[in-house]
Amino acid sequence: MTRQEEIQTLIRSLRQAVPEVSGVMVASADGLPMVHDFPEGEAARIAAMAATSLGLGKRIATTLRLGEFQETVIRGQNGYFVVYEAGEKGVLALALPTGANLGLVHLEAREAARHLKDLL
Amino acid sequence: MEPLKVLVAGPVGAGKTALAKSLLGEEALTTEAKASEDLGKETTTVALDFGTLAVGPYRVHLFGVPGQERFDFMWDVLAEGALGLLFLVAGDRPHHLPEARRMLDYFLSRHPVPYLVGVTRLDLGRAWTPGEVALYLRLPEERVMGLDARKREEAFRALARLVELATGGE
Repeated sequence: MTRQEEIQTLIRSLRQAVPEVSGVMVASADGLPMVHDFPEGEAARIAAMAATSLGLGKRIATTLRLGEFQETVIRGQNGYFVVYEAGEKGVLALALPTGANLGLVHLEAREAARHLKDLL
Repeated sequence: MEPLKVLVAGPVGAGKTALAKSLLGEEALTTEAKASEDLGKETTTVALDFGTLAVGPYRVHLFGVPGQERFDFMWDVLAEGALGLLFLVAGDRPHHLPEARRMLDYFLSRHPVPYLVGVTRLDLGRAWTPGEVALYLRLPEERVMGLDARKREEAFRALARLVELATGGE
C-alpha cells in the first residue's frame, strides 16, 4: 500500500467508528491538504485553517502551561470543527454536526492521529 | 498611553519571524510549523508572531502575519486596529516582488496606515537595493530602507522609524 492509501484506509476506519463525521482533513502542519473528503473547492482553505488552529492552539497551551496539546475545538451553532496534532508534520481535522458525541470522537480521533504520525 | 499596534507583513521568507525574534528575544510568541515545501528554510509561520516592546515613550504591540497566501484569512484578523505597517521584502528574491506589491496594496487599501518597507537579505547574492525596490513598488525612496532582520539594532531602527511615522513625529 502507498502512504496515500494507508492514510485513506485510516480515514475509512475512523469514519466507521464515528459515522456522524461530515468531513475529514489530513493536512501537513504547514497547511497543505493531503488526504480529505471535503469538497475540492474548500479543501485548500480548510487545510490552512486547520494548520493555523493547531499552531495557535499549541502556542496557547504552552503559554498558559496547559500541558501537552490535545485538540482545538471550535463549536458553532451548527456543529464542530476539531483539530488534532499528528506528529510534528501533520494535522487531523474533523467536521461534525451538533449533537456529536465528542468524548467518543476524541477517543477515536486521537488514536487515528497517533497512527497518522507514523505514516507522515 | 494606549499601546501602538504595529503589523509586520510581507511574502514568505522575508524575515518577519526573524525580526520578531531579534526584537523580542525569548519573549517572542511565534507559531512555526515544519515546512513541507521547499521554501529555503525549515519552518514557516502558520498563525502569527506576537510580542510587546518599548519604543521611546510608546508601548508597541507587534503582530506578524504568515507570509504564505493560503493563510491570508489571518491578514485581516491581525491587521484590525493596526496603526502602522512594517512590510518586509527579501532583496535577493526579486521574483517575490509582484506578490509583494499585491500584498502591500491589499493591506494599504484596507488599512491605510503609515508604512515602512524593509528590504532584507541584502547580504545574500545579487540582491535588489532598497532604491530599486522603491522604484519597482512605486514608493517614495524614504519609505524603503535596507535592514538585516536578524540584527536587533537594525530591526529596532526600522521599527523606531515606523513609530515616528505613525505618531506624527519626524
